[in-house]
Amino acid sequence: MAQMPTLIPKEVEIHRLKKIWLIIIAMGSTAASVEVDNFVDGSLHQTSIRDSAFTPAHWWLYSHFVALPLGWGAVAIYDRRVPVLRGPNNSMNTGLKMTILGYLATMFTIGINEMWHFWFVEEIFAVPNHWMFNMGVVVAFIGALAYVVRVYARLVELGAETPGENPYIAEMYKMALEGKLYSRTIP
Amino acid sequence: MALPKGFGSAGGATSEDVAQMIGRRIENYGGLITMAYIAAWLATFGGTAAGYFYYPWAYPTPSGHFAFIVLTLVESIGYIFCMKIAEEGSNKNSNRLMAVTMSGVAIGTVYISMFVGF
Repeated sequence: MAQMPTLIPKEVEIHRLKKIWLIIIAMGSTAASVEVDNFVDGSLHQTSIRDSAFTPAHWWLYSHFVALPLGWGAVAIYDRRVPVLRGPNNSMNTGLKMTILGYLATMFTIGINEMWHFWFVEEIFAVPNHWMFNMGVVVAFIGALAYVVRVYARLVELGAETPGENPYIAEMYKMALEGKLYSRTIP
Repeated sequence: MALPKGFGSAGGATSEDVAQMIGRRIENYGGLITMAYIAAWLATFGGTAAGYFYYPWAYPTPSGHFAFIVLTLVESIGYIFCMKIAEEGSNKNSNRLMAVTMSGVAIGTVYISMFVGF
C-alpha cells in the first residue's frame, strides 16, 4: 500500500471529506428508497406469493443490494486520501469495513435466496433465506452510523460544520471528538 | 493522492499545491449534482412505469404513482442536502438553479401522476 502522508492541508481535507459526504447522502437516499420498496415488495407478495425472481419489486431490491456495496466500495477507495479516516494498523476504517461486509453479505444472499425459492414460494420476513438479508443490513447500518459520525465529527473539528444547538446533541459531538462516543481502541 | 516528499518549491505546501490536491472544488459540483438528480428522477419514473405498464395486476397505477411521489421527495431532500453541503462556506450560490430544477421536477411529478398510466 502506498505510504499516506499523516497530515494534509486543512482545506484539502475539508474538500475530500465533503466529497465523501456527498456519496454518503447518495447511499442514504438509496437506502431510504428501498424502504419504499419494502411496501412495494410486500404488496406484490400479497397479490401473488411469488411469480418469478425478476419482478419490478425485486429489480429494485436486488439492484440496491448490488449498488450499495459498490457505492460504499467507492467510498473506501476515495477514503484512503483522508489520513484521519484510517482504521487500525493503517487498514480500512472499521465502520466502513462493517458497512461493506454487511452489504456484501446481502449481495451474495440474493443467490442463496433465489436457490431457496426454487423449492419454496413462502415470502414472510422470517424464512431462513431472508436471515442474511436482515442481519447484513443491520451490520451495514451500524457500521455506516459509526463512519458517518466519524466523518461529521471531523468536519466539526475542522470548523467546516457547526454542531447541533441542542445541548444533548452538542454533548454527543463533543464526546465523539474526544473519542469517547465509542471505544478508543477502534478508530 | 500520495505526495512526494517536500512538495512545494521550498518545502511546505503552496496554494498551487493545495489547489492541485483538491482537484475540482466541491462548490463546482452543482451542475453534476443537478444532472444526477434529474437522471435519478427520470429513472424513478421509468422504474415505476415498468411496474404499472407491465405488471398492472400487481402494481395498480395509483400505487406506482404513490411510490413515484415518495421517491421524488426522497431524491429532492438528497438533492438539497448535496447542493447545500457542496456550496456552504463558499461564495457560490445556486438557489435559482435549485428552484428552477425542483419546480420543474414538481410540475413533472404532478403531471405524470395525473395523466400517465391510466
